[in-house]
Amino acid sequence: MATVQVSEAEKVYILHGIRDDLRVDGRGCEDYRHMEIETDVVSNTDGSAKVTLGHTAVLVGVKAEIGKPRPMIPNEGYLEFFVDCSANATPEFEGRGGEELGTNLSNVLYKVFSNKHSLDLHSLSISPGEHCWVLYVDVLLLQCDGNLYDAISIAIKAALFNTKIPRVNITSDDEGGKEIELSDDPYDCMRVNVENVPCIVTLCKVGHRHVVDATLQEKACSVASLIIAVTHNGTITCSRKVGGGSLDPESIFEMTETGKRVGKALHAPLMKLLQQEESLSKKRVRVGFLC
Amino acid sequence: SMAVDMRLPTVKKTMTLSAPAVYRKDLVVPGDVITSDTGFMRGHGTYVDDDKLTASVAGKVQRVDKLICVRPLKTRFNGEVGDVVVGRITEVQQKRWKVDTNSRLDSVLLLSSVNLPGGELRRRSAEDELTMRKYIQEGDLISAEVQSVFSDGALSLHTRSLKYGKLGQGVLVQISPSLIKRQKTHFHNLPCGASIILGNNGFVWLYPTLGQQDEEAGGFYTSLEPVSLPDREVISRLRNCLLALAAQKVLLYDTSVLYCYESSLQHQVKDILKPEVMEEIVMLTQQKLLAQEG
Amino acid sequence: MPTDTKRVRGPDVSQSPVLLGYKPAAVLASRGPREDGRQRDQVDVRPVFVRCGLVSQAKGSAYIEAGNTKLISCVYGPRETDRKDETDMKSGRLTTDVRFAPFSCPERVPWIQGSQDKDLSLMLHESLQPAVCLQRYPRSQIDVSVMVLENSGSALAHAVTCASLALADAGIEMYDLVLGCSLQQVGSSYVVDPSYLEENGWRCNSSESRGGLTVAFLPSLNQISGLQSDGEMSEETLTAGVRTCIEGCYKLYPVIQKVLTKAVRRAAPPST
Repeated sequence: MATVQVSEAEKVYILHGIRDDLRVDGRGCEDYRHMEIETDVVSNTDGSAKVTLGHTAVLVGVKAEIGKPRPMIPNEGYLEFFVDCSANATPEFEGRGGEELGTNLSNVLYKVFSNKHSLDLHSLSISPGEHCWVLYVDVLLLQCDGNLYDAISIAIKAALFNTKIPRVNITSDDEGGKEIELSDDPYDCMRVNVENVPCIVTLCKVGHRHVVDATLQEKACSVASLIIAVTHNGTITCSRKVGGGSLDPESIFEMTETGKRVGKALHAPLMKLLQQEESLSKKRVRVGFLC
Repeated sequence: SMAVDMRLPTVKKTMTLSAPAVYRKDLVVPGDVITSDTGFMRGHGTYVDDDKLTASVAGKVQRVDKLICVRPLKTRFNGEVGDVVVGRITEVQQKRWKVDTNSRLDSVLLLSSVNLPGGELRRRSAEDELTMRKYIQEGDLISAEVQSVFSDGALSLHTRSLKYGKLGQGVLVQISPSLIKRQKTHFHNLPCGASIILGNNGFVWLYPTLGQQDEEAGGFYTSLEPVSLPDREVISRLRNCLLALAAQKVLLYDTSVLYCYESSLQHQVKDILKPEVMEEIVMLTQQKLLAQEG
Repeated sequence: MPTDTKRVRGPDVSQSPVLLGYKPAAVLASRGPREDGRQRDQVDVRPVFVRCGLVSQAKGSAYIEAGNTKLISCVYGPRETDRKDETDMKSGRLTTDVRFAPFSCPERVPWIQGSQDKDLSLMLHESLQPAVCLQRYPRSQIDVSVMVLENSGSALAHAVTCASLALADAGIEMYDLVLGCSLQQVGSSYVVDPSYLEENGWRCNSSESRGGLTVAFLPSLNQISGLQSDGEMSEETLTAGVRTCIEGCYKLYPVIQKVLTKAVRRAAPPST
């Protein structure tokens, strides 16, 4: 993780500001930084999205491929996550450092989606026991300026919303063998229902309070954070303490409460934006990587 | 009371009221022939190819008599004697501190270049190194002046004036050194209620204006008393204004910062960094600056 | 893909015959008594068998057995750190490594450490770090390893307890012991210290929502050093679950304390 240095006096200044609900950049404790979201940004994917949050920038690509269902769950497809922390984002990612962070992030993503409702995996089944859709979700960190989890989860939800899986038909020949046939119409696509895809909220404990969307400076003043993945109806699909310190039970309960409230509130504006973008479709000037 | 502002990105453009960035002869890229006249001398950022003086970096051509240099547009800080800098201590060594000043090499603050309280402090043992740490330790911020430049380009700093020294509570903003306007003084008590050190190295320090009794920002004891909420708001507003000005490539000095602050007052502090607000207040600032000049 | 050349690897694609006769329906009932006779909706942890100092070569070690979950943990160090590039030499470094023996689960686990094990190692690291006085060990490194010999559920929770015991046995300075407890929520009912089937049977079960939770707790400081949940839970069940796990840790506490005192007494020189 990219780290910054903060002197003792700066720390005191940041701590007192958070106590008074006025952070260094003028935000309150539960405010996010300015966020920009765009989907369909790379062409060689079935769905993609780019999210910037402050100076943090994340790119997610989704590719749908046909695979074999897992033996224990023959009538479902599955998701694979990979997070790449290239040295592009910060020199600290060079070598092992980036690899470790990438594994941690993707492990959390598997946990977030390891339940029956986050994504309807039945809809990814093609023929039970034989073929299913595998969605490869590749996350690329372009720039790190704190709060990676939240930005990544929003980018994944947007990219899945944007994903168009080609329709396939299964035909059986005379000898009983089965064949997969791709639809001729390129617009004949299946969409993924993202209604229940959770958003992750990272709560950073600074002094006696906690903040959302912490900057790197604020993170440097914190001993521990709680990440919490919340669906639009407030179900928690993953929670985890991260960081070297410990938290007392009461603050965990308070942070869970804030996390649920904030996480729930993220979904409506996100869905509204994604629908708005789709309705504009071709009329809109794409920005891509130019900003 | 949670707030999130999600939107689609828009293509951003830098606005300027001065001449648009048309073709300018003084701007060159590597390989551009600056002159075929052999009467000139070759300076930094150039090479001679086939008797033609050619640029080796992207930047601005500068002529001093017969000497031609190209000053890179994007650069780390190249300090000169007398420059005011703000820097962060990276290491405490024998008889000196290493300081990150946004330069190519870490700068040096020698123990002999510091007036410490209680007279001279000379390092004799490991115990003295601990004493050095008591005054300034790793991670601390200081303001200082460039005393000399070593042969390898590293800067030697001094804090031998009451206005220099360890910095206390406040906010650091890092900006390109090329945006800091050279002025007689880089220390200002702004009338809006906070003070600013515009380091030549692009590190800008915002802090609450201190009372009469200890007017200097320097010294070695820092107060850890809570800063009042109104003071914090002013400092946060100034911080966001500095970032807005820098994003639109406006030179930073006391007047531009103050005009920007005034232009921002109709907006909440946290909204200043939204693209459209940023454009609006920087536009207003530039209009005010033009009116003042005209 | 790294391969371990010292071991004979099985065929690339092979399946346990157990999976062929797999009957999902029989896996887990969400009502009625638990398979091993323990109580549902109560802090009914399995009795643990704990012993310190079984591995003579290690600086400290511990063995824990809860039902059929069996783990062994070793601590090596403090020794001079490997990493010279670390800028912060003022405090020591803690490394953790969790591995599953290939025969630990019903399905064979490959020897190569997978991302699952790495994730558990990280969770163990975050759970232990707040309890260890690392600033007392500048420039040094302390290595903690846990081998899961048999996984009959709640492996992470027991790994935390076992590793903290091994650290204490090694004489490493600590603010407090760290105890772990897990819980599995099925619908409105929960089971504490779940078995392997209770943990993994959910996929084939009914439509009831399910959640898993593991808490690492510092009992005398009343601090949570590790927390992880997955599945689907409401805020209320999560909060209640954390409270239940803390209670489970307190149940474990006297047993662990007793074992440690016994180990100390055994190691003490004869009084003269």
